[in-house]
Amino acid sequence: MTKFKLSSLYLIAVFIILYAPIFYLIFYSFNSGGDMYNFEGFTLEWYTEIFQDTRLLIIVLNTVVVALLSAAISTILGVAGALAIYYARRRQTKNALLSLNNVLIVSPDVIIGASFLIFFTMIGIKLGFISVLLAHIAFSVPIVVLMVLPKLEEMSTSMIYAALDLGASRFDVLTKVILPYITPGIFAGFFMALTYSLDDFAVTFFVTGNGFSTLSVEIYSLARQGVSLSINALSALLFLFTMLLVIGYYFITKKANKPNGMGVRQ
Amino acid sequence: MKQLVRALIIVFVVSFGLLYIVNRLNTAQGYTGDNTLTVYNWGDYIDMDILDQFEEETGIKVIYETFDSNEAMLTKIQQGGTSYDIAVPSEYAIEKMEEEDLLLPIDHVKIPNLQYIDSRFLDLSFDENNKYSIPYFWGTVGILYNPDEVGDISFSEWDDLWDPSLKNDILLVDGAREVIGFSLNSMNYSLNETNKARLVEAKEKLDLLTPNIKAIVGDEIRLLMQNEEAAVAVLWSGIAQDAIWENDKLEYVVPEQGSNLWFDNMVIPKTSKNPEAAHQFINFMLDPEIAAQNADYVGYSTPNREALKHLDEETVNDERFYPDEETTDNLEVYENLGKRMLAFYNDLFLEFKMHRK
Repeated sequence: MTKFKLSSLYLIAVFIILYAPIFYLIFYSFNSGGDMYNFEGFTLEWYTEIFQDTRLLIIVLNTVVVALLSAAISTILGVAGALAIYYARRRQTKNALLSLNNVLIVSPDVIIGASFLIFFTMIGIKLGFISVLLAHIAFSVPIVVLMVLPKLEEMSTSMIYAALDLGASRFDVLTKVILPYITPGIFAGFFMALTYSLDDFAVTFFVTGNGFSTLSVEIYSLARQGVSLSINALSALLFLFTMLLVIGYYFITKKANKPNGMGVRQ
Repeated sequence: MKQLVRALIIVFVVSFGLLYIVNRLNTAQGYTGDNTLTVYNWGDYIDMDILDQFEEETGIKVIYETFDSNEAMLTKIQQGGTSYDIAVPSEYAIEKMEEEDLLLPIDHVKIPNLQYIDSRFLDLSFDENNKYSIPYFWGTVGILYNPDEVGDISFSEWDDLWDPSLKNDILLVDGAREVIGFSLNSMNYSLNETNKARLVEAKEKLDLLTPNIKAIVGDEIRLLMQNEEAAVAVLWSGIAQDAIWENDKLEYVVPEQGSNLWFDNMVIPKTSKNPEAAHQFINFMLDPEIAAQNADYVGYSTPNREALKHLDEETVNDERFYPDEETTDNLEVYENLGKRMLAFYNDLFLEFKMHRK
């Protein structure tokens, strides 16, 4: 009994440490005092300020659009990539491809960002929406591959042989056996890519320009003069939004994990 | 499979819907037309109402972007791929941009309001005859202190920092030229000293200061000071002013031996698409009333002589932020010392930072 208590106490402590700064930030977003030291009174002033600032609103929408589009496109590319790695015949090729993929994940964002900046200006892509989108797709693809690949590996090959035996074409196998099986992995990949894109600063910092900016870059520039509480309010909204995403993700995976006949669905 | 396709379609529909909304918002704000002006400035360094006034008066739509350091701004402009019409770098960055041929010369005929700028701030070493840049704000490097905690030290001299009673009380900004600079000043050497022996001497003098130093910090220095976490700080006047606004106990002083005089100037990068509008903007910002309104909002010292008449007397007569000519004569502007010399400064600064207490 004591063991249980101790471990749950530890868990609670860890969660408090992890979440305290966020809630501290959110708490002061309701402060009418204007700073993060003395809580003077409750106000929604900072929230109204956000919604009146069209520039900020455009930036928020831009951030969301880039996140959604880059996540969707990189999911498509990533799934194709994972399939390619899965189907690679020779063990060495497979390992080589996987390592190339992993190098992209571990290499520092700053280097990726800088190289994109040089690359885009070299081939003449104007910094802005397109450059940010392309950069985000590029750093999201390896993540999707990594999320999808284990699902493919754990899939029993006999299912594929069975489908082929029963007269399925290769296309049928892909759409009716493999994709349905790895759907949870695909969604996991999509949501990972989405969160990576939403909060990426380092890469985005290099490739924004010409009036186009994302939230993380904007907050960073604002922070130079001391963060205004409207940034707190914005962070609170963003936190709420990510919470909703997580909850949505939970329900989707819950649904996808339900046993479903022979793995062939709908 | 159906589920995947459906999810994908939803994502695409939503994002294109959002894209459409952004586009509509942009058009509604006039950001897509030809008659726009892109301003690239430090964060929170302008009164946004002024941009509205400018738009109303000229019909030019302003796109406003911010940066947080000269280096970040330089990279963006150097790399191309951007089309900023106005940027606001500090003096040493201007010199660098001139060298690398990144700036358009400014046509003084189109800027009649230049006459209002105090001649003290024109034609300085970093941009002779103001060929490429027009002053936006200026300031000094000095000492911000809390009189309650330092006894009767007045900081009229840099040497006061070395007072043994200030043990573990001093914050320094994390800038090689600022820190080595005040040590040089304390020995009456130039801020732009290139004599290595003297620089080493300055660094050795700094080593003696280490018992008094609490920390070497960045922008958070303002918060630390206004919350009275430290008694003394060496920093830029702009940050000092902000801190004093929040905590009026604090005092700012520029030691008499001299110090640094810094500028943030408006320039027109070569990549500008609308230099005509950029000239209009610079002229507009130099209008005495506008400059006064901006100075009132930002709180830094305006170089606009006429604007002072529109500001509170209390502000203008504040010797701390609008020092008289006698004091500014003692101040020096940083000169570009070249890469090698700068590396030497940085090395010394690093050695000093690693010096054990």
